[in-house]
Amino acid sequence: MRNNLAERRLDRGWTQADLARALGVSRQTVISIERGRFDPSLPLAFLISQTFGCKIEDVFTAENTR
Amino acid sequence: MSDQLVKRRAPIEHYLLAIAFGTTLTIAVSLVVGASNPDDFWLAAGIGALTAAYPSVSLGAWLFVSNHTVTRDHRGEESVELTWMKQAASGAFLDVLIATLVVTVVLLVGRFQVDALPVLLLLIALSAVDAGLRYLANRYRALR
Repeated sequence: MRNNLAERRLDRGWTQADLARALGVSRQTVISIERGRFDPSLPLAFLISQTFGCKIEDVFTAENTR
Repeated sequence: MSDQLVKRRAPIEHYLLAIAFGTTLTIAVSLVVGASNPDDFWLAAGIGALTAAYPSVSLGAWLFVSNHTVTRDHRGEESVELTWMKQAASGAFLDVLIATLVVTVVLLVGRFQVDALPVLLLLIALSAVDAGLRYLANRYRALR
């Protein structure tokens, strides 16, 4: 999956550590998601979208769509 | 939100406490193992110390150091570290299984007779080192 998490985070002026604290996960988790190397679980994806006040599909997009 | 990062160092006395705790526990375990084999006391005590040292010091670090150095994640089960650990554990399991099969075949074909204890110790060491290296490799790949 691709995502625009880094842009949304930077728009708010948050560091990766800030976002990690807000989500209750490690900073490495945020780094891995932003770099597209870790797909979050559905509950975490919902939490991320709620944190930024948007829908999941506004943050995450599938790379291969049929 | 503040940008204050979690302090990663514990007070020095906590490290000393962890080392003292680990050393004491290691000596206690090695004495028990040695006493259970009076004919080879020092050999048995040495093996006991080797197997007990790492978990004992780790327990000491967990008790006295980790509260100061580890960030408590409310959703730790959602963190990428758990994924790395699961991948490392499953990979290490397959490695140990393959190593066990190969060693078993070699022993059967060659009709070698070996003591079980050194083989079991090697398997423990292999699984621990393998899982650790795999975890580090997963972490490196994800964060580079």
